[in-house]
Amino acid sequence: MINKMKTTNKLFALLCLCLAIFGAVSACVAKPKSTIVVFAAGSLMQPFKEIEKAFEAKYPQYDLRMEYHGSIQVMRHVTDLHEPIDIVATADQALIPMLMYATNDPATGKPYANWYASMATNKLAIAYQAKSKYADEITAENWWQILSRPDVRVGLSDPRFDAVGYRQLMVFALAQALYGNDQIFNDFLEGQFTRPINLVDLGDMLIIRIPEILETTGSAHLVMRGSSIALNALLEAGEIDYAFEYESVIKQQGFEMLNLPAELNLGDEAHEANYRRVTVKLDFRRFASVEPVFNGELIRYGLTIPESSPNPEGAARFFAFFYGEDGQKIMADNHHPLIRPIEGDHLELMPDALKGLTGD
Amino acid sequence: MKKQKLPELFVVAAVLLVIFVILPILLTFASTSATNLFETLIDPEVARSIGLTFLAAGIASALGVLMGLPLAYILARRDFRGKGLIEGLIDLPLIIPHTAAGIALLMVFGRQGVLGKLVRPLGLFFVDTLAGVVVGMLFVSIPLLVNAARDAFKAVDSDLEQSARVDGASAWKVFLTITLPLAWRGVVSGVITMWARGISEFGAVAILAYSPKIVPVLIYEKFQGFGLKAATPIAAILLVIVVLVFFVLRSLAGAIDD
Repeated sequence: MINKMKTTNKLFALLCLCLAIFGAVSACVAKPKSTIVVFAAGSLMQPFKEIEKAFEAKYPQYDLRMEYHGSIQVMRHVTDLHEPIDIVATADQALIPMLMYATNDPATGKPYANWYASMATNKLAIAYQAKSKYADEITAENWWQILSRPDVRVGLSDPRFDAVGYRQLMVFALAQALYGNDQIFNDFLEGQFTRPINLVDLGDMLIIRIPEILETTGSAHLVMRGSSIALNALLEAGEIDYAFEYESVIKQQGFEMLNLPAELNLGDEAHEANYRRVTVKLDFRRFASVEPVFNGELIRYGLTIPESSPNPEGAARFFAFFYGEDGQKIMADNHHPLIRPIEGDHLELMPDALKGLTGD
Repeated sequence: MKKQKLPELFVVAAVLLVIFVILPILLTFASTSATNLFETLIDPEVARSIGLTFLAAGIASALGVLMGLPLAYILARRDFRGKGLIEGLIDLPLIIPHTAAGIALLMVFGRQGVLGKLVRPLGLFFVDTLAGVVVGMLFVSIPLLVNAARDAFKAVDSDLEQSARVDGASAWKVFLTITLPLAWRGVVSGVITMWARGISEFGAVAILAYSPKIVPVLIYEKFQGFGLKAATPIAAILLVIVVLVFFVLRSLAGAIDD
């Protein structure tokens, strides 16, 4: 008996030792790689995964760490949580001046960013599946009626966290003038949330107000998630019939797509003056120092390297790769082509290493 | 009791472990200001979420008793082929990542899922409903009850049951009047553990029923969206309530036993 116990004890000690050695060895053997942290909008997930693979294959000395969130959340990780981030890519470039220019890094006293590249455009559309309810009926003229039917389940992303969230609300507000019906917004949202989302329609100005607590009611036919990409799985599972998504994402996922009229899809330059009529405001303090207001405008993705980047060389390497041949091809293959040559805001403040890239 | 000599290192390890567990909990309270805590206490969103969490875990535990005790009793009293396999399978929810459990549950209980489709005509839905929260909690916590109850039933002398049977009592009556009362303590402790585990569940519930938001989902959302200041008071309040309820239930179980 005692002998047996001793053996068990020895075995146990040996096991612990092995585990400890294994952990220590694997920590030492792994070659220290230079880390580049990329925070990107969820709608960039698919192409950025391919870029991560291609980049790491070309530059094995780097380890790309990608994290995807709703675009407002991406900003929060920089300006409110002060996380060390090397590349920021958001689905709404306006968030960069609104939040990163306007917030100083407490460590240096400098703003988190002072330039950005307008990386790509997109259009808002409605994703669905052939088996979705009324799929054979929905058109670019009647979509708002179908989406308001109580037996149709519609996926929304949270306007407090995600750019699709406030943009999909803009679409409903703009639809009122296009279809000559001032009840479209209310018909869609009435009774769906425990606290209402309100629209003030002043004709040439539309103001949408988001309450601090946003929770669907028990009987709601709207299903809300923190970001638009979180709706993909629900759509796939048949849990929802329709969801607002970007055109690029719908094509990447292979869903059926209902194109919204150019007056509404926030992606047609000819209609930008019309988009500008609408504004989304948060009825509460969302950020530590800035009151964000989201204005209707052309959808443009923004890319920047934060001042606080712990690895600016790595970030520049990534930026060059992204705008180089490989990056351009991956983005184009994913139905999300880059704007070339590089446009943006205060590009003269870009790191010197990147300046050669702007003209081609 | 005579003091037995212990390996000195054990004391060091034990103290470190206790600090490891207590420190984060203490800091949760320390970093919460009284006003912040009070504001959170009267926030109707938080109150509703706490009520929902406790209710759902309660329903899950009740279902666990109805479904889990029979299996636990069978596993304690019968030997059959494949018993080891079943015992292993029942433990699976403890091992698989709970996000994976959530996806698996979605495939069964979603509108297009195997069971979800069947009960749809009854108006019973699981995604973003209380039923979904209950299912998520039930799935991840049921092994705790089955295992605890099985061990408790095993500890009851089967000769006692046998002699009651000889005296003419039905199997049902034997279970209710002999086995269950004798195994009471272990079963109750299993129910409490299951209930507590249900309250703490995040992954499976967040995938199946993100809303209505239970406290773990609410804490996650507040942390993600509004930061530490918004999240810690809720965490602190839940901690206090859980500790209180746990303490009361445990001492009640103890009192019944004595």
